[in-house]
Amino acid sequence: MTEFRFSHRTIAVAIAGFALVYLLGAYHLPGFVAVDVPVQPATLPRGLGYLLLGLAAMLFFQRAEQAEDETATDATATEQPAEPDEVGLGRLRDTRLELAVFLVAACLYVALFAVAGFVLATAAYIASTAWYLGYPRHLVTVLTSVTIPLAAYIGMSEGLGVALPNGPLPF
Amino acid sequence: MDTLTQLVSGFSVALSPENLLFVFVGVLAGTIIGILPGLGPMTAIALMIPVAFGMDPTTAIIMLAGVYYGAVFGGSTSSILLNAPGIAGTVATSFDGYPMARDGRAGKALAVAAIASFVGGTVGVVGLMLIAPTLSKVAVSFGPAEYFGLMVLGLTAVVSLAGKNVTKGLISAVVGVIVALVGIDSATGTLRFTFDRPELYEGIDFLIVALGVFALAEVFVLLSRRGHGGAQGGVTSLRLSKREVRAMTPPALRGSVLGFFTGVLPGAGATVASFLSYSTEKRIASDGDTFGTGNIKGVAAPEAGNNGAAIGSFVPLLTLGVPGSGTTAILLGALLVLGVRPGPMMLEQHPGVFWGVVASMYIGSIVLLILNLPLIPLFAKVLNTPKAVLLPLVVVFCVMGVYGLSFSVFDLWLLIGFGVLGFLMRANSFPAAPLILGLILGGLMERNMRQALQISGGDWSVFVTKPIPAVLLALAAASLLPTVVGLIRRRRARADRGWEVPAA
Repeated sequence: MTEFRFSHRTIAVAIAGFALVYLLGAYHLPGFVAVDVPVQPATLPRGLGYLLLGLAAMLFFQRAEQAEDETATDATATEQPAEPDEVGLGRLRDTRLELAVFLVAACLYVALFAVAGFVLATAAYIASTAWYLGYPRHLVTVLTSVTIPLAAYIGMSEGLGVALPNGPLPF
Repeated sequence: MDTLTQLVSGFSVALSPENLLFVFVGVLAGTIIGILPGLGPMTAIALMIPVAFGMDPTTAIIMLAGVYYGAVFGGSTSSILLNAPGIAGTVATSFDGYPMARDGRAGKALAVAAIASFVGGTVGVVGLMLIAPTLSKVAVSFGPAEYFGLMVLGLTAVVSLAGKNVTKGLISAVVGVIVALVGIDSATGTLRFTFDRPELYEGIDFLIVALGVFALAEVFVLLSRRGHGGAQGGVTSLRLSKREVRAMTPPALRGSVLGFFTGVLPGAGATVASFLSYSTEKRIASDGDTFGTGNIKGVAAPEAGNNGAAIGSFVPLLTLGVPGSGTTAILLGALLVLGVRPGPMMLEQHPGVFWGVVASMYIGSIVLLILNLPLIPLFAKVLNTPKAVLLPLVVVFCVMGVYGLSFSVFDLWLLIGFGVLGFLMRANSFPAAPLILGLILGGLMERNMRQALQISGGDWSVFVTKPIPAVLLALAAASLLPTVVGLIRRRRARADRGWEVPAA
C-alpha cells in the first residue's frame, strides 16, 4: 500500500482545501428566518469547517518523524510479507494499475446494474473479476457466477420481498 | 418471591415443545437474515410478522424474540468474517473481531461473540425482571439536554478509537459528523449540502458509509497486497482456553450492564451501547493498547453491550408501551396485531403475558447459543473461499445490501466513493471507526442540542444546570483525562528519547 501513502503535509493541505470548500458551502447556506431559532442550520457546519481547518493545521505542523513513524508501525503491524513462491492475485506488476482495473470493473458493474439487471450484471462481474484475478478453475467460476446471482435474486425478491432490477430477463 | 413464581409460570408456557420449535425457527431465520448487510433485526422481525399471524400470541412472541436475537448475532457474523457490519450495533465488534479472523481465529471470535451475546442477554433479562418499572421512570425523564450529554459521552469514545495519532482520529470523526449533516435539516427543513440531488435529501445512510469504509476498503487493501493478509480460513477452533474465558468474562459482564442501562434510554440503543462498552473496556484494560489488533475483550464487550441494550430497549416498551428503537417499534406493532397491548397496565392486568415474554427472551438467548455454536465452523468456512472469488463476492454482497436499502444506483456510486475514501484512509493510517462514530452520533447530537436550546429559549446553561446532563458531560470530560495525561507522558518520553539519540 506504500504507493498510496502520502506525506502528512500533503494530506494536511488536501484536508485544509476540503475544509475551505466546505466552509464556503456552509457560509452559503440560507439562514432560517421564519421563526426565531437559537441555532441556525449553518452554525454547526461552520464550526466543523473551522475545526477541520484547525486539525489540518495541527497535522501539518506535526513532527515528521511522529507522523511517518506511526504510519510505518501501522504498516508493519498489518502487512504480512508474502511467501516468495506464493501466487498473488492479479496480472499487472504495478499495484496502482491493478487497483484502477478493479475500480473500473466495480464502476462498470454499478453502471450496468440497473440496465442489464442484477443477475446478468452480477454474473458478468463475478466471472470476469475471478478470471482476471487468476482463479484457475474456470468451471467453478462459471458455476459460481451463475448460481450465486440467481440464488441471491430469488432469495431477495421472493423470500424477502426486495425487488432487484431484472433487466432484459423476463423474471 | 412473587416475581419468581410468575417467572416460573412464564417458563412453563414458553417451554412447550411447540414453542421451543418456533424459537429455534426464529433464531435460525434471524441469523440468516441478519448476516445479509442492511437487513438488521428490524427488517428480520418485520419479515417474520406475516409468519406470526394466526399463531398463538405467546408462541408468536417467542418466535419473534428468537428472530431478534438471531439477527443481532447474524450481524456480528458478517462483521467478524468479512469486516462488513450490516447494522450499526455490530460495527464495534468488527474492530477486534475481524483482526481475530485475519489471524486465523475466526472460530474463536464467533464463539466469544456468541457467548458474550448470551451473557448480555442473560444480564439484560435479569435486569428487566428486577428493575424494569423503576428504570422506566428514569428513562422518561430523559429530555433533549440529557440526550445531548449522552451523545457527547458517546463521542468521547473517539479518542480511544483514534489509535496512536489522536489528530487523525479527530479528523476522521469530524468528517463523520460532516457526512451526518448532509440532507434536510430536521429542525428547520433547510437543505444542507445536497447539491440539488434528491437522493441526498434524506442524508447518507449509515450502511453505505460502513460497507464502503470497512468492507469495500478491505477488498481494495487485500488486492493491493495481492490477496495476502486477509481473514484466514482453516484454523477455526472454537475452543476457548481457561485464560481466554477469564479474560472475556469481566468485559462481557461490564458490557452487559452498561449495555442494558444504555438500552433502556429510548433512542440510545445498541449502537451507543456497543461503542461505549468497547471504549470503556479499552480504557480500563491493562492491555488496552492491543485493542484493534484482535483482543478477545474487544469482541466480548461490544457484543455483550449490544445484546444487553437489545433487552434494555424492552423496558420502556413493556412498562410504558413506548418503543425506544425502530426494532421495538416493529415489535410493538406485532404485539398489537397479536392482541397484546404493552404498557403500564400490562404487568398488573396481564402478568402472564409479561412473564411469558421475559421467559421467551431468555429461551431465545439459550437457543441462540445452542444453535449457533455448532454452526460457527460452517460460517467460518466462508473464509476458505479462494480470494479471487471471495473479493468480487464481497463487492456483490455490499452492492446488494445498499441497493436493497434504497433502490438507488446513486447510493451504489456513493458506496464506491466511500470504499475509495476508506482505502486511502487505511493506507495513510487514518482510523475508520471514529468516522462511523461521528456519523452515527453527530446528527443525533446536533438534533438534541438544538431541541434542548429551543426548549430553554436559547439558554446554553441548560446543559450544566440540569443534573443529568451536567453529570454526563462531567463524565465525558473525566473520560478524556487519561488520554490527555497519556499524550503528555508520551510526548515527554519522546522528547527525552530525542535528547538521548544525538548523545548516543
